[in-house]
This record gives sequence, structure tokens and C-alpha cells, in this order.
Amino acid sequence: MKLIPYILYLLLVAFYEVILRDLTSIYGVALGLPVLLVLAVAVYKSELSAIWFGFAVGLVTAATSRPELSGWYALATAGLGSAAFHLRERLNLESLASKLLLVFGGALVYNVVMTVINRPDGFFFTLGTSVIPGALYTTVVAWVFFQFSEGRMTPQKMKAMF
Amino acid sequence: MNWISTQFARHWRNIHYGAIIVLSLAITFWPVQANRVLGQVIIGGLYYPFFKIQTAIQVLTLREANVRELRGSLAQASLQISLNEEAVRENKRLRSALGFEPPSGYRLMPAEVISVSGYRLPITAVINRGAKDSVYVNQPIINQQGLIGRVTDITTDFATVQLLTDPANRVAARVESSREMGIVRYVSGSTMILDNFPVHGAVAVGDTIVSSGLGGVYPPGLRVGIVASVQRGEHEPFARVTLEPVANFHSIEELFLLRPDDRR
Repeated sequence: MKLIPYILYLLLVAFYEVILRDLTSIYGVALGLPVLLVLAVAVYKSELSAIWFGFAVGLVTAATSRPELSGWYALATAGLGSAAFHLRERLNLESLASKLLLVFGGALVYNVVMTVINRPDGFFFTLGTSVIPGALYTTVVAWVFFQFSEGRMTPQKMKAMF
Repeated sequence: MNWISTQFARHWRNIHYGAIIVLSLAITFWPVQANRVLGQVIIGGLYYPFFKIQTAIQVLTLREANVRELRGSLAQASLQISLNEEAVRENKRLRSALGFEPPSGYRLMPAEVISVSGYRLPITAVINRGAKDSVYVNQPIINQQGLIGRVTDITTDFATVQLLTDPANRVAARVESSREMGIVRYVSGSTMILDNFPVHGAVAVGDTIVSSGLGGVYPPGLRVGIVASVQRGEHEPFARVTLEPVANFHSIEELFLLRPDDRR
């Protein structure tokens, strides 16, 4: 397992947490970039990479928000990586819809678990205003990412559209 | 040893999972201080450069906001200075107008010029007095320098003034010293002249020309112009007398309407 790409991913997570999160939030709904990265590693890399990267992402995201919950964060994110890897093994992820479904389901379950771990006052309120919209937002961004990564959208096509 | 390596090879996945679970639980249940230290290590290693960037961006944003605010203040101060300077100029003009006396038998009503129109030289002006101020058509208008013109049109709040610079406006006038008469008019694109003045009439450069009061519009004795040149043709019945207007029509601002004392 080459470490440098994963360190760069972790730096990207840190960059997102410090600078990009507020810039990309829409009405308080934040993009789940750490979730996206863990899912991407789970889909494109090995099982061990997925769980250890998830573990590290959990520690990194907890460091600035809830350091006392670092262990739970790490366990939840590693679990997400593992679950995504096993789903990838059992499902046919060739179609875009199945990938998006995986992203949406992963982001939703992860957000719910994180909400439970953080124990906010209004769980259902958080569910409606942050958890589900956040999962949808992440899915939309993933759709855009897949459009480009799989060559469905290119700069030339965009220019032709506009 | 062989047994251990065999077990490791068989259960390597479970060992990784177990390690992650054990580490997570250890991190969860070890003292809070240790968690804080772990957080500090991660922040110092990964977050530090981005916190520096974030701080730099915040400082820049703050400075930009300060610069914008200072620019606004500067613009406002400049505007205030301009207004103050204008107020000083107005104050000077009004002070000079304070001691201004109307001709005998007339009252003064101050008015402000709202707009002027004309090509190169203003020939009409609009003032902020109208029918509600009892302004009437042909009412004479003067300023501290001399005769300016007369009212030609009135609305409720405003009145239009035909200035002496309008070639259609003529003033029955006379030389102040010799009392010889002529008609003052402005020649379009040229200058003000004293027309119909006898070729042998007594007039010299520097003489003051005043209104004669004979036209029925302007009262007598209002200063109109100063003789700038006199040309007398040998076989001409009239002299060509050019005048320098006493009023500066390019800078009219505060004017006075003349109202006879006996007019209500």
C-alpha cells in the first residue's frame, strides 16, 4: 500500500475541514467530502486500504470537532470503508445509478451514525435539516465527479452546451 | 513460529479488523487528556498549514474591508470638503448681497437660478420663484452688478428669465454722464452694443450705460454696461458703441426680482 496518495487525501480532508467546508456549504448543509473519499478508496482500492484509510479519516475529522470522540469517529468511518468495500464485491457497480446509490446510502448511514455519536438535542430535526440534505448534496457532487471521471462530461462537451 | 505465520496468513483480514477495533476502543476509553494530545498531534501535522492559510485569508479579508471602509470615508470627507467650500463661496456672495439696496421705489425679492440655457452664452435662466411668489411677466431682474433681464414666463413655482444676452431683449438706455440715449442689445455671436446712438453723441470709452426707464419695463438708473469702444463713421448717422456688460452672465446664481412699492 503506497502511503503518499493517502497522505495527500488526508491533507485534502484537512484542507476541506478548515477552508472548503464553509465555502461549499449551502444553507448550513455541508458536503461530505471525507465520506466521498472513503467510498472512493473502498470502490477503487483494496479492503485493507479502505478500512485503514477510513480509520485515519475518522481521526482527522474528529481532531478539530470532537477530539474526545475520536475513537468512535475512527471506528464508524472504518466501518463505512469496510461496508462499502463488501458492497462493491457483491454488487455490480458498473452503472452510474448503482454507484450513486452506494454514495447516497453510504453518506446517509454515515451521517446518521455520526449524528447518533454526537447525540444532538433534536435528532429528527438534525435528520431533516442536515443529515438527509447532506447525503443528497454529497450524491450530487459525486454524480458530477463520475460524469467527469468516466468521460461522460468533458470540457469540450461543456463548451458545446453553453 | 511457523504456526504463527500460518495463522497470520489465514486470518490477516481479521487481525486488521481486530487491530482497528482495539485501537478505536482504546482511543475511546483512554483518558480525555490523551485524546486531546492525539488531536493536537493531528492538528499540528495536518491542519497547521491550512490554519495558517485560513488566518491569512481572514486577515486579508479584514484588511480589504478596512480599506473599503476607509475609501468610503475618504469619499465622504472629500464630498463634505467640496460642500464646505461651496458653502464658503455662497457665504461670500450672500455677504456681498447683504448691503445691496434696490432703486428708489422698488423692493427686492431674492431668487436662485436653477438652470440656464443657451449656446455658448446663457440667454435664458429659470429661477425658483413663480406665481405663488406674485412674480409677473416683464418683472425686471438685477443682481449686485447690474441689470440681468426680465421675466418672460411663469409657472406656479418657477419663472423663466430672458437675459440681456438674448439678442431679442432690448433695453432703452442712456449714457450715465451725458444722458444721451440709445438702445442696448446683444449682437448674436459678438458683443453688447449701444444701438441708435448719434454719431456726434457725447460718449467715451469707460462711460457707464444705464437703463433710461423709457421702455416701460426696466426702471431708470440700472447699470447695464461700460463703453468698451466707440467708432464714428464719417457718413454714418449713428456711432458704433460696443459695451462690456457689467454683469457676468456666466456666473449668475443669486438674483433679485424688482417689485414696485405700489404693486401688491
